[in-house]
Amino acid sequence: FTTMETFENIYLDLSKQSGKCRFAESGLGWKPSGGGDTFTLDAGQIDGAQWSRASKGHELKILSRNVGVIQLDGFEQEDFDRASKCFRIWYGVNLENREHALRGWNWGKAEFGKAELAFNVQNRPAFEIPYSEISNTNLAGKNEVAVEFNLGAEPTTNGMNGHKEGSTRNRGRKAAAGRDELVEMRFYIPGTVAKKEKTEDADSGAD
Amino acid sequence: GQNGTAQKQFKKFESYKRDNQLPLRVKDMIVWVDTKASTVILPIMGRPVPFHINTIKSVSKSDEGEYTHLRFNFLAPGQGVGRKDDQPFEDPQAHFIRSLTVRSKDTDRLADVAAQITELRKSLSRREQEKKELED
Repeated sequence: FTTMETFENIYLDLSKQSGKCRFAESGLGWKPSGGGDTFTLDAGQIDGAQWSRASKGHELKILSRNVGVIQLDGFEQEDFDRASKCFRIWYGVNLENREHALRGWNWGKAEFGKAELAFNVQNRPAFEIPYSEISNTNLAGKNEVAVEFNLGAEPTTNGMNGHKEGSTRNRGRKAAAGRDELVEMRFYIPGTVAKKEKTEDADSGAD
Repeated sequence: GQNGTAQKQFKKFESYKRDNQLPLRVKDMIVWVDTKASTVILPIMGRPVPFHINTIKSVSKSDEGEYTHLRFNFLAPGQGVGRKDDQPFEDPQAHFIRSLTVRSKDTDRLADVAAQITELRKSLSRREQEKKELED
């Protein structure tokens, strides 16, 4: 087995630019191809990992101990074996193959996990929303929950504007990473009581 | 039946069976109308998420400064209207996505998306009407 595995054309947390992703025993690194700060994550931070289809290709999602959800998109299907070996041998983590719902239904079950909210359709996630991307939630009416997303104007640099070390430019603004930005989502959740009250998420850090 | 609702069969429309059926353009992380699959694909946190046209009640467009907003309203309980035989409205366990709003500076493209969806809904209801007439 090698001491390092490298993958090219990988996007970190929906970055505009792709970069080089490297895995080694000590952890992982991502370096933007056009130059810029390298993102690193210590092996000890890695709690779990999932493999799914995403926009650019296949996505490796890392659930970290302290810095939330890290998304690496742009892998080829054939990369799975090489990547899962890295996670098993170096990080003691099983790279879980996670298929998403493609039925096109708007009903299912919203489930609140440790780091993200998942909307499941027939026991498969249709999508997930990391809590770091939510700016506000609001009980908008009887059985209706409105979720608003962070739309910070410009991405912040690592360690700046309250961004923790080990964070990435797009953390807390993934909803605004593309040309079409996600503004708000409303759920019908039976059993929720309408209250005219807002809960601000102090953890957003995007402004 | 006993209480009827739990056993109710819904018309099980399906956008895609496998991820290799997703259109290539999902890589651009933009709202995409796949007419062939009667589906609108919305980018949610980097994931292409299909919504079958049967789930969409209406789409409304508004301009705010340099942004155009597009709000997708989905069929969900408590709105009075809807093709309720298609969806589990009586299921007390079911959660629904009621609406989803995106914004973009690509005004023309979003206007085009809204027009494509309107056209798709029209042609589907035309087809349903024809089917009904044939069955009579």
